[in-house]
Amino acid sequence: MQPLANVTPLKHPLRAGAIKVSNLSQVFKTSTQDVVALSDISLDIKPGRFVVLVGPSGCGKSTLLMMMAGLRQQTEGTILINDAPIPQPDPNRVGVVFQEPSLFPWLTAEENVEFPLALRGVAKAERRAKAEDALKLVGLEGFGKRHPHELSGGMKQRVSIARGMVQDPPVLLMDEPFAALDEQTRMTMGDELLRIWAATGKTVVFVTHSLTEAVYLADEVIVMSARPGRIVDQLTIPLPRPRTYEMLSGDTFGTLRDRIWRHIRKSA
Amino acid sequence: MAGTLGIKLARIAIVVAVFAAWELLSRTGIVNPRLLPSASDTLATLWELLQRSSVHNDLAVTASEVLIAFILAVPCGTAIGFMIAENRYFAEVAKPLLFFAFSIPKSIFLPMFILVFGVGFSQKVGFGFFSTIFIVIMSTTTAVESVKVDHLTVARSYGATPLQTAFRVYLPSMLPVLLEALRISMIFNLTGVILAEMYASRDGIGHQIATWGENFQMKQLLAGVVMIAAIAMTFNELVRSVETRCSHWRT
Repeated sequence: MQPLANVTPLKHPLRAGAIKVSNLSQVFKTSTQDVVALSDISLDIKPGRFVVLVGPSGCGKSTLLMMMAGLRQQTEGTILINDAPIPQPDPNRVGVVFQEPSLFPWLTAEENVEFPLALRGVAKAERRAKAEDALKLVGLEGFGKRHPHELSGGMKQRVSIARGMVQDPPVLLMDEPFAALDEQTRMTMGDELLRIWAATGKTVVFVTHSLTEAVYLADEVIVMSARPGRIVDQLTIPLPRPRTYEMLSGDTFGTLRDRIWRHIRKSA
Repeated sequence: MAGTLGIKLARIAIVVAVFAAWELLSRTGIVNPRLLPSASDTLATLWELLQRSSVHNDLAVTASEVLIAFILAVPCGTAIGFMIAENRYFAEVAKPLLFFAFSIPKSIFLPMFILVFGVGFSQKVGFGFFSTIFIVIMSTTTAVESVKVDHLTVARSYGATPLQTAFRVYLPSMLPVLLEALRISMIFNLTGVILAEMYASRDGIGHQIATWGENFQMKQLLAGVVMIAAIAMTFNELVRSVETRCSHWRT
C-alpha cells in the first residue's frame, strides 16, 4: 500500500456539496398500524464537513442515508443536495459506500472502480485513467488487475471507496462502511478515510454504531433515538486535526463519548 | 479442482485398472467372452464402426435431434424460469406445480409421444425437449435468485438503466449457475433422445445400440456404449472447464 505522502489528490479538489434536510418524516404502513420510522428530521450540513450519524439499531440512520442517496423516498419533508431535490440516485452529486464492499466478483478492482463511468459511456482510456487516480487515492496503486477474491476485507472496502469517488461527486455517503472489518483494520481505515477526505475536501455523511469511531472521525456528530427516529443531540467535535491515536485517551474525547452514550442508553 | 499430481495419477490408475480387469476377465475366460468381449476387441470394433457410413449417418441423426431439442428447450426454459423468478405471483402459482412435474419420470410419457408424433425425427426432438425443459426452468429460477440484492443496489445507486442492469449485473451473476444448468440439462436431453431412439425408431445411434443388443452383437454393443459415453463426457468437460473459470464469483 502507498505511503501517505506520495498521494496526489483528485483532479478537482475542494468540490464539496451542501445537504439540507427539512421536516423529513417516514411512515411505514403495516396491516395493523402505522410505524413512524423517522420523525421531523431537520439538518443543515455545510460543504466539506465530516458528519457522523449515530444511534441505536432501528433509529433509521441508514434509512435517512439511503434517502440522501435517492435510493428511498421519504413520506414527508424535503432533502436538498446542492439546492436540488434527489428523487432518484444521481451519481454526479452523490457517491455511496455500503457496509458490504459489494464489488462485482467478475470484474477486476479497476473495472469495479470504472463501473459508474462505464454506465455513462465514458471512453475506455479516460475511464482507466480516472480509475487509476481513484485507486491511487485510496492507497491501492498497482492492485488494479486483482479480482475482489484476491483482496483482503480492508482492501475491498478501499476499492468500494474508490468507486464512490471516481465520478468526483461533491457528497460521499457511507453506510457503516467499516462495520464488517476487524478492529485493527477499522482503525487504519478510519485514518485513511480522514486522509482521503482532507485531500479531496468532500462532504461526508457517515453512519456508524461505534461511538469511538464517531467522535474520532467527525466534525459533527448527530445523535438519533429509536422509535420514532428523531435527532436528540448534535455535537460539534472541537478536537484539532489531524486526529491522532493519543486523542482517544484524552478527557475531551471521553466527555464527548459519554454524552453520546447517555443519549443512546436512554433511547435503547 | 484440478487436484495434485498424486490425485491425477490415482485417477488414471483406476481407469487403467478397470480396462485391465475387463481385458483379463474376458481373455482368461473367467467371464464368457461371448458375453463380455475383451476391451481390446471392443476398441478395435469401435474403430471399425467409426469408419462405417451407416454409423456416421446414425450419429448425424442423433446429433441433430439432440441439438434441435437443446436449442429449443434452453431459451424456452430460461424465459419461463426468468418470468417465474421475477414475478412473485407467477412464482407462488407455478413453483410447486413445477416441482410436481419435475418429480415424474419422463420416460412414462414416451408411448404417448409415439402416438402423437409417430416414431420419426419430431418425436425424438419433442421428447428430448420435454425431458430437458423442467430442469432448465428450475435452474434458471435458482440462477436469478443467486443475483445479490447488494449488487443491484450498487447498480441502481450509480444510475444503471434496466438494460444495463440486465447485462452488467444479472447476466454475469447468473453465468456460473447457468453454465451448470446447461451441462446438466444436456445430460437429461441426451438421455431423453437416446431412450426414445432405443424404444422405437428407424435410425439414430440409440436405435443401433438397441438393435445390436437384440441381435446379441456384444462387441458392437459395447463399442456403442463406449462411444456415447465418450461423447457425453467430452461435452460435459468442455462446459465444466468454462465453469471453473468463473467459479470464484460463485459465493
